[in-house]
Amino acid sequence: MSLDSPAANAAFAKQIGVTFPLLSDMNKKMLKSYGILKGYNLHDDTFEWALRANIVIDKQGVIQFVEEGDSAVDPNTALTMCTTLHKKEPAK
Amino acid sequence: MVGSKLLLALIFRTGWEISMKRALAIGLLAAAALAAAPAAPQAEKSEVAKMTLKVGDTAPDFTLLSDGWKTVKLSDYRGKKNVFLAVYVLAFTGG
Repeated sequence: MSLDSPAANAAFAKQIGVTFPLLSDMNKKMLKSYGILKGYNLHDDTFEWALRANIVIDKQGVIQFVEEGDSAVDPNTALTMCTTLHKKEPAK
Repeated sequence: MVGSKLLLALIFRTGWEISMKRALAIGLLAAAALAAAPAAPQAEKSEVAKMTLKVGDTAPDFTLLSDGWKTVKLSDYRGKKNVFLAVYVLAFTGG
């Protein structure tokens, strides 16, 4: 998900052929409630951008993994978490 | 006469010195206040930027627009699928 418009996301999705939805938070509501919006001061004004983050939420809606900033560039740790969660399920 | 003039000069001088000291003190105070003022909002900003969520917290529900202009709710996935949320800045740049 990103701050980009659905139109920009659609173009990007087509370009790279993704199989998952690219989500857009244009009104920044979700980013605000998750606390991943960062203000940058530029030309006497403040501009808000999203921080890079990977979040894994389980079926019950509980956050299982959080990673932000530069470490979130590599999604492998989050993916491993997803696989672990997926494997756990049949046992339940 | 010469003595009184000297005394006057001395009083004038010490008086000026005191006022200079006072002015310097006021100036220093003002400078300190000016230096402290911009520091406060900056500290606030870094706190805002810090992610507020922790592992074990219930993820706040959200409604986002998909690339097909449809709404996607986190609660739609509850009980059905695990969700991997990747937040990317300017995703299309590949950076």
